[in-house]
Amino acid sequence: MQFNAKDFNPHLDGPILTKRIPCWPYADPKGRHVVHLDEYLKTGGYNGLRKALTMTPEAVVEEVKKSNLRGRGGAGFPTGLKWTFLPKVDEGKDPGMRYLAINADESEPGTFKDRLLMDFDPHLLLEGIAAACYACRLKRAYIFIRGEYHHQAYVLEEALKEAYAHGVFGSKGLLNGTQTAGGGTWAVECYVHRGAGAYICGEETALLEALEGKRGWPRIKPPFPAVKGLFGKPTIINNVETLCHVPSIVEFGADWFSKQGRASTLGAGAPPSFGTKLMGVSGHVARPGTFELELGISLRKIVEDLCGGMRNGKKFKAAIPGGVSMGILSTDQFDAEMDFDIGRKCNVLGLGTACPTVFDEDTDMVMVARNIARFFKHESCGQCTPCREGSGWLYQLMTKVEEGNGKTKDLDLALEIATSMGSMPGTTICGLADGNNWAVRTIMNKFWGEFEARVKPSYVPVKMTIGAGAR
Amino acid sequence: MAWITKNSAGTVVEKRSEPYLTAAMKADLTNRLLPRFETTHAALLPALHMIQHEYGWIPAQAMLEIAEFLKLDPSQVIDTASFYEEYWLKPKGENLISVCRSIACEACDYKAITQVCKDKLGIEVGETTDDGKFTLVEVECLGSCDSAPVALVGEKLHEWLTPETIAKAIDDVKAGKAGHHHHGH
Ligand SMILES: Cc1cc2nc3c(=O)[nH]c(=O)nc-3n(C[C@H](O)[C@H](O)[C@H](O)COP(=O)(O)O)c2cc1C
Ligand code: SF4
Ligand code: FES
Repeated sequence: MQFNAKDFNPHLDGPILTKRIPCWPYADPKGRHVVHLDEYLKTGGYNGLRKALTMTPEAVVEEVKKSNLRGRGGAGFPTGLKWTFLPKVDEGKDPGMRYLAINADESEPGTFKDRLLMDFDPHLLLEGIAAACYACRLKRAYIFIRGEYHHQAYVLEEALKEAYAHGVFGSKGLLNGTQTAGGGTWAVECYVHRGAGAYICGEETALLEALEGKRGWPRIKPPFPAVKGLFGKPTIINNVETLCHVPSIVEFGADWFSKQGRASTLGAGAPPSFGTKLMGVSGHVARPGTFELELGISLRKIVEDLCGGMRNGKKFKAAIPGGVSMGILSTDQFDAEMDFDIGRKCNVLGLGTACPTVFDEDTDMVMVARNIARFFKHESCGQCTPCREGSGWLYQLMTKVEEGNGKTKDLDLALEIATSMGSMPGTTICGLADGNNWAVRTIMNKFWGEFEARVKPSYVPVKMTIGAGAR
Repeated sequence: MAWITKNSAGTVVEKRSEPYLTAAMKADLTNRLLPRFETTHAALLPALHMIQHEYGWIPAQAMLEIAEFLKLDPSQVIDTASFYEEYWLKPKGENLISVCRSIACEACDYKAITQVCKDKLGIEVGETTDDGKFTLVEVECLGSCDSAPVALVGEKLHEWLTPETIAKAIDDVKAGKAGHHHHGH
């Protein structure tokens, strides 16, 4: 297979996050292997961190802020701005204990991008962690990784051993006690902390509760974690992919970063979609996989030109843009552009994790809604009544409709329940319920005909084909 | 079902004389894990992982031992242990088969995979074989949607499954060809 990479990433000279992880359109994924420290160093590794230490922490934060890097964990919050929410530290004064929690919980169905980074280039994440800790004056970093990622936790532990032996972390200070432009050295300890199977722990305050050894119950905000987070101390929470962008932004600068991707198409003043994004495509395409692409590329281009089109020559029917919480893109939204404006432009919750799950013409959209409703019912932490009860109710209704026992009034009821749950309608603590709301509601609205047909007695079901990819 | 309330009042603690939390585990907690955190409570997930890894599940006595060692109330331990799905508060089979049932896997017909497991093992989802060798569960997204349908057999991920390959994975475990412990905890 051969691709013209410029055709997909016009502003890039080569891959950035996946520089050491072969991905199309650049290289054959068959060449993937774990990048150990020596290979990492030989290929420019830790240069970003080295440069960061020659800048003041404030200058590093400023550079990240200027780059307009937005969080890759799903919400798209500007990373540099988040970092400025920490309490200010007086020059030369000890800020006391402050933490970084790395969100490696990756449990949103359809999402498998952080896994790629941890599977093959663990030092890139460690470098990002070290740079972020220096910039924000954080002393301890916990990589909170989902329990099911056994192999990834192992790879990270091994990489951490190498990084400690090389003096990246540890009591001497970053990079063997390098004198920093911030004055003196800055020491960081970094640990891997395994979760135990609960999607809700990906929500940042639930993650902090889990780290503290408690049930993963999201906290009411404010206070925000930057002020009062882990163990009540100032804490920054960032996604794996977000942190992996930091070393190259520091090394090559904010201007370099903001030449990739594009400004907002929603008009002046709207926040931009700069940089590249890992996009993991699953579902009914001929060649599913993970790709590093500039934000703004159309879903059709990814599917038709990178993934070899739809599986078995079928037609495109629908796609989830990035994790089931986001809702659905309808058949006529195949040209949707994958950037942070997608929510406003396509009536979905947002870009989410930018890992599209694609469905072909044979897909039963009632099944899709039922599957997703089941997921949220299963994963609701139970603190808020509209989420705990509403998720169960939606699942029951979707099951009833799927089995052919539904009535039109069940559809109306489902829409009413969905619309009323979430932190945006203001009835719940966290965004899990918004995801449930957007998923069920947009699937029903955009494929209303299918739901209507299903509550009629004349319905005939379709059959599915096993396996991702073409056979 | 993270929010199902815990049955702490009805829990009967069967005791054995030998502790579950071994001296080696205590040393590991003291030397490696506790120094990482501001509270002893924060070492609870790692402690529960240790027990689960060693015994395949978390007996009530082990929770009491952890509570004592970490200076927590037993209720705090069961509160946490009962929340997380990976922790088994009842014994499970030696080999856990976890078939992914989330959207990408359902779109690629994971049900055919579960069916083979059920037929081969003679159990329903959620059950354990009589010889205690296998427990079958369905789980949510395993983060490997591009190679759907997928399943974990023990700690090993099996991708691009077909009825034939899942059958073979089960046969391999039966023949002792696939260790269920992949990398330590
Ligand atoms: C229910 C729920 C689940 C979430 N799961 C994840 C997750 O698995 N990984 C992640 O990085 N962010 C997840 N998030 C988003 C986090 O709360 C948070 O916004 C993110 O980790 C911040 O990092 P970022 O700014 O670098 O993206 C989730 C949010 C919600 C509401
Ligand atoms: S919205 Fe749902 S998941 Fe979030 S805190 Fe409330 S009950 Fe828990
Ligand atoms: S949906 Fe099965 S691995 Fe993601």
